[in-house]
Amino acid sequence: MLHERLVEALGAEAVLTAPEDLRAYAFDAYTEGRFPSAVVLPASTREVSAVVKIARDCGEPIVARGAGTGLCGGAVPVDGGVVISFARMNRVLAYEPTRRRACVQPGLINLDLSRKSAHDGLFFAPDPSSQRISTIGGNIATNAGGPHCLSYGTTVNHVLALEIVGDDGEVFTTDIDRPGYDLTAAFVGSEGTLGLVTAAWVRLMRLPESVRVWLATFGDVDEASDAVSAIIAAGIVPTALEMMDKVATQAVEAASHAGYPTDAAAVLLIEHAGLEDDMNLYESQIARICREHGASSWRAARSQAERDALWAGRKGAAGAMGRLAPNYYVQDVCVRRSVLPQALHAVERIAREHRLITANVFHAGDGNLHPLICYDKRDMKQVAAVIETGNEILRMAVDLGGTVSGEHGIGFEKRTAMTAIYTTDDLAAMARVRDVFDPRSALNPEKIFPAGVRCPEVAPAG
Amino acid sequence: MTIESIAQTLATCSREGRSVSVSGGETLRGMGFPTQRSGLVLSTLDLNQIVEDAPEDLTIAVQSGVRLRTLANQLAKHGTHVPLDAPRANDATVGGTLAAGWLGPRRHLYGRPRDFVIGSIAVLGDGSIAHAGGMVVKNVSGYDMSRLYVGSFGTLAVLVQINLKTIAAPAVARMFLLRLPERTRERAVAHLAGLAVTPAAAFWIDGHHGAIDGDEGDAGRMAIFVESSENAIQRATRDVRAAMGRAGVPETRIVDAGARESFERIVDAYTAELGERSITYRMTAFPDDVLPRADACKALAQRFALRNDTIVDAMNGDLIFRVSDLDAHAFGAKIEAFDDALHEAEPRAMVIAGNHPHRALLNVWGEPPGGIERMRELKRRFDPRGILNPGRFLADI
Repeated sequence: MLHERLVEALGAEAVLTAPEDLRAYAFDAYTEGRFPSAVVLPASTREVSAVVKIARDCGEPIVARGAGTGLCGGAVPVDGGVVISFARMNRVLAYEPTRRRACVQPGLINLDLSRKSAHDGLFFAPDPSSQRISTIGGNIATNAGGPHCLSYGTTVNHVLALEIVGDDGEVFTTDIDRPGYDLTAAFVGSEGTLGLVTAAWVRLMRLPESVRVWLATFGDVDEASDAVSAIIAAGIVPTALEMMDKVATQAVEAASHAGYPTDAAAVLLIEHAGLEDDMNLYESQIARICREHGASSWRAARSQAERDALWAGRKGAAGAMGRLAPNYYVQDVCVRRSVLPQALHAVERIAREHRLITANVFHAGDGNLHPLICYDKRDMKQVAAVIETGNEILRMAVDLGGTVSGEHGIGFEKRTAMTAIYTTDDLAAMARVRDVFDPRSALNPEKIFPAGVRCPEVAPAG
Repeated sequence: MTIESIAQTLATCSREGRSVSVSGGETLRGMGFPTQRSGLVLSTLDLNQIVEDAPEDLTIAVQSGVRLRTLANQLAKHGTHVPLDAPRANDATVGGTLAAGWLGPRRHLYGRPRDFVIGSIAVLGDGSIAHAGGMVVKNVSGYDMSRLYVGSFGTLAVLVQINLKTIAAPAVARMFLLRLPERTRERAVAHLAGLAVTPAAAFWIDGHHGAIDGDEGDAGRMAIFVESSENAIQRATRDVRAAMGRAGVPETRIVDAGARESFERIVDAYTAELGERSITYRMTAFPDDVLPRADACKALAQRFALRNDTIVDAMNGDLIFRVSDLDAHAFGAKIEAFDDALHEAEPRAMVIAGNHPHRALLNVWGEPPGGIERMRELKRRFDPRGILNPGRFLADI
């Protein structure tokens, strides 16, 4: 029934039901879920709407999917259902460089938009490490960050308006310039639990006149993290302020020969973009703070090629971890920037207690840690230790006044951790929103909310 | 007044079905429909504490009744700021500015007020207390509840605490005042986009005599506000002069001492009222079409024999258009028909200021936005008895 109706609405080539096809859509970069009942590849808003109505009639949950690069199980069909892949909805619908905005379909690959707009001196600022393959729809679903959101803000700062297919299949729009509740903000980061974004107006930014990239090396991780805290405390917010420890730089160098020193305990990759006139002052201020905190060397990238190589190394860091161990798990927590040294200490201690190797490569300027915990999934003892290590890092971040996800989202993975930072009433407030947009819990079920969170009963008005 | 006492008050009012009108500094009372004063008035002005100032994290947590000036003075101690850009900073509160969804002229450069909000504590319409976000600058733990309260006009919840991220305040500010000769206006505005040092704000101003600095030329006057480093200001000065020279504007007057105050006076003029004789509209356009739209509004006002004052925010494309009459009675006789005619041309025009008794009869919100049914449902979930600011918001929310 489901299959026939989907084929009738979309055509046979846009509906996958063979087990070998379904298997590919049971995964994301975090985990494996159940096989979906069907995978559809709609080509238009109207087709998405039709699919939602059919799934609803058939009692099937709906899971939206971009590129499947999510790290928290957000795109995994935990309860089966219909997976809607946006792979075919990947066009730029409108491009207005003078107004510095574009309207895109959700399946457009993040980097493709920056490539297209570069000719006009513009770019799309959110730059998750996955940006070569992740989609803008997926970025919206997770409110994706990236190294440069330190100064440009996360995805929510760059979304102007949305077209949404609701749980009933009806289409509506949101627009941050209109009065009314900010539904755009509610949707960005909602991980496909409130509706399906079928088009988005996004903001394009002007490419900076001047970009400089510097590397500061440290003989000690503490010194590097102290330097990061000091840079922020001085009111300096570079466009990116990334940190890598020795384990990470060695893996990155082996994989990409980007030019990172492999003997330093920690490296700061610092970028500042803006006016050429300000660059020397910025450089001298940041370099001075690094030296005051014990930097053993300071180096400026001399050319665009050198800058690109350093960034390619940084963005490929997760992939390079394959050299260290068969598998890795990446944790994502965010703490206040002033407690970065304590947080890194704690990560190191926790991993050591579990006899695991971690590599740290993360958005230090935001206080957003990404310890990559190396393991071999064939060793069940190690798997158990990794899970415990991840949980202890979460608790540590919460104890330091931080949060359980800086930029990857909650997804399936971190649902229970939500209770560590929110009260029952806090979660009930979110459930009130969920209840409006997805009263049947059919949109990406089993995500974000821990089991048992409900919207309070609404008494009849009057 | 504590969070708990507000929660108890709202829980009681919700049980009894008693309406509550929430107020802050009352500086944006001209937005939306007039508040119905039949029930309890809940002022946030006693919520005036800076809860946590964390300059080392570039964050600050304040209670919602803290005035913008108080916030700015506190941040200035550390050389930081949060550019919320609402009028009458001495009176306006942080909570009120956010609840009203205020959009100021520097947002194109620094971001919208909502983008500085990293956490909040709110009391919902049924008295439950909801925390959201925290004191970290990146956070994707569940829905972004804080941003949902921004712009909700206190109809979902009463904001009691707001956590903000801060940014370094620019070292130097300079205001350029330009008298525009005939046929220079379009070129002057068009050249703004190409400036290497992006102005923090740039306005084309028609009218507002006495309230705003600068002399009028045949094509009105412009004010360009630049704030940055000393080096950048020097460069901006060369660039602005060269660009405006190319546009045919010979003279550029520079204001350094009092440049920020000069900028604030323009922001204050956004909502300046002339007794009961004025209504001010806001329209959101684009930098490339805002001038002709401003001209069309002016022509329309002239057709109704209404005086008019215009501020065009040339960086964002906002059009702030005030109509008035010397006589309140004459104004009252014309404003409804003008409001209808304006909305024919500008369906999304919103009223942002004006104290005229007929304001409630105007189309103060403009054309309803998308998703209105869902907004009504949200209201029902957050404020089931409809006690918070009844009648103030759009679409009967």
